[in-house]
Amino acid sequence: MTTIHTTTPVVVFTGAVKEFGAVRAVDGLDLTIGRGERVALLGRNGAGKSTSIGLLLGLDDPTAGSVRLCGVPPVQAVRDGRVGAMLQDFKPVSRATVRELVSFVAGTYPAPLPVDEVLELAGLTELAGRRADKLSGGQAQRVSFAVAMAGDPDLLVLDEPTAALDVQARRAFWASMRTFTDRGKTVLFSTHHLEEADQNSDRIVVIDRGRLIADGSSAEIKRTVGVGVVSFDLPSGPLPSGLEDLPGVVSVEVAGGRVRLRTSDSDATVGALPRLVAPRGLEIAAAGLEDAFLSLTSHTATASSTASSAASSSADAPVTTQKAGM
Amino acid sequence: MAGNVVLVSRYVNFELRRTLRDVGFVIFGIGTPVLMYIMFTNVGDKASAGSSDWAVSAMVGLAAYGALSAGLTTGTAVAEDKAVGWLRQLRITPLSPAQVVLGRAVTGSLMVLPAIVVVFLTAMIGNGVRLDAWQWLALTLLLWVGSLPFTMLGIANGYQLSAQTTNVTNIICNLTLALIGGLWFPLSEFPGWLASVAEWTPGHLLGRLGWDTVDGNAPGAVTIVGLAAWLLVFGAYAAYAYRRSGRRA
Repeated sequence: MTTIHTTTPVVVFTGAVKEFGAVRAVDGLDLTIGRGERVALLGRNGAGKSTSIGLLLGLDDPTAGSVRLCGVPPVQAVRDGRVGAMLQDFKPVSRATVRELVSFVAGTYPAPLPVDEVLELAGLTELAGRRADKLSGGQAQRVSFAVAMAGDPDLLVLDEPTAALDVQARRAFWASMRTFTDRGKTVLFSTHHLEEADQNSDRIVVIDRGRLIADGSSAEIKRTVGVGVVSFDLPSGPLPSGLEDLPGVVSVEVAGGRVRLRTSDSDATVGALPRLVAPRGLEIAAAGLEDAFLSLTSHTATASSTASSAASSSADAPVTTQKAGM
Repeated sequence: MAGNVVLVSRYVNFELRRTLRDVGFVIFGIGTPVLMYIMFTNVGDKASAGSSDWAVSAMVGLAAYGALSAGLTTGTAVAEDKAVGWLRQLRITPLSPAQVVLGRAVTGSLMVLPAIVVVFLTAMIGNGVRLDAWQWLALTLLLWVGSLPFTMLGIANGYQLSAQTTNVTNIICNLTLALIGGLWFPLSEFPGWLASVAEWTPGHLLGRLGWDTVDGNAPGAVTIVGLAAWLLVFGAYAAYAYRRSGRRA
């Protein structure tokens, strides 16, 4: 048994590539996660989140590059009982009770948590004697969580853990998650909910088309993406230049006769706007998540061409300009 | 090594509980060969149906059939587990793939035993079949161990195919191997060319193990080598199918 140095990162992706036929699901991913970090893997459906997690858990081998877990290949780390995971679309196996299932999984780990404690943490004490395959979707999700933490692993990997849950169940899930992870666990979870990433992680990693496109604290990501949208009617005459240099502005779009400024600080943007234009039909809104992704991903798609120019058009219909240096 | 045994036995314990809850499997798996045995030896032409030779050879044939059938059925459960993602979940526990397959095979084998024993009990009580104690013991052990190729074939189908296809495939394997193996009707009633092929099918070799034992003979080397060859073939198929199922995206 080798002892893992405290400085050994828990997760290291080095130029990891995964191809399925002609499709590059993961395209050169570099990512290092240290002990005790709680990291959200944020991305749209099909961005490569699940494939990255598959590589991390040793369910798939990278086509190129490498993935290490606690300093060893993922399959070895899994064999050593260092990892627990909630897979996407978990369905409890048939003809076993909740307690039997959790006890069995716990028993395969070298130093598991007491089963009663796991059931308690997952809110399953009342359901322990029930057949796991006869539970509702939300209850089944709790079983999946119980299975993931039963072995008291160092690293918890959760692939879209709340996808099937309603708002209330979601909140309850994250509350019990925190109880477990506050014991110094390293957590990596994938989601396409920005708020969920925001509230439950210390660090957000955004991936798109199999590449890492942003990595930082929630505040940093919000600053990059912009949290608000300031929009007004397209003025007659030429669009005033310098909109993208207004305080807080992250990007400028023109579509449907409206100018939309994505901003990290709506108040500052609106305050400064009259310097350039007298806005008509002014609206201030919170940025939706889809908007946020569009902003980030069109940024990567055209990053090289827009990095320094003030106004260049992307291939998409709305004209999008991005501020440089994000 | 000791840790290995503990892990596999935990898995077997878990799978056995699940299997025993499958009421349909337990009743059909054990009930079908028994029912066929009662019919074959009590219905129809009384003179030949009731003969003690036939009562013994049909007992061996149908115990072998029960073993074959129970072995194959394990595969249906494997396919079901694959469909709900349980096999993937197992891959992220510390259990190794070899331990998972071994645990499955042991569970499948244990479920073979009741199918064999219940046919023997029916023959003893219903038809007054009497054998030496060593023969009962040898018969049980030989049919049990000899059913391993079928367990492997079932498991391989389970890893390789979808749940529904596995079910159908296992039923086809079940009927074909039992029929052509002469487990229901003796090969002497087959046309000569078919009988000479049928002799080498795994179902017949399994029956042969038993028929030699009730005749008071040790199993022939050819029979053992033949079954071992089938075990190798089906075992390789199972290993291939398992590896392939793991590569699923």
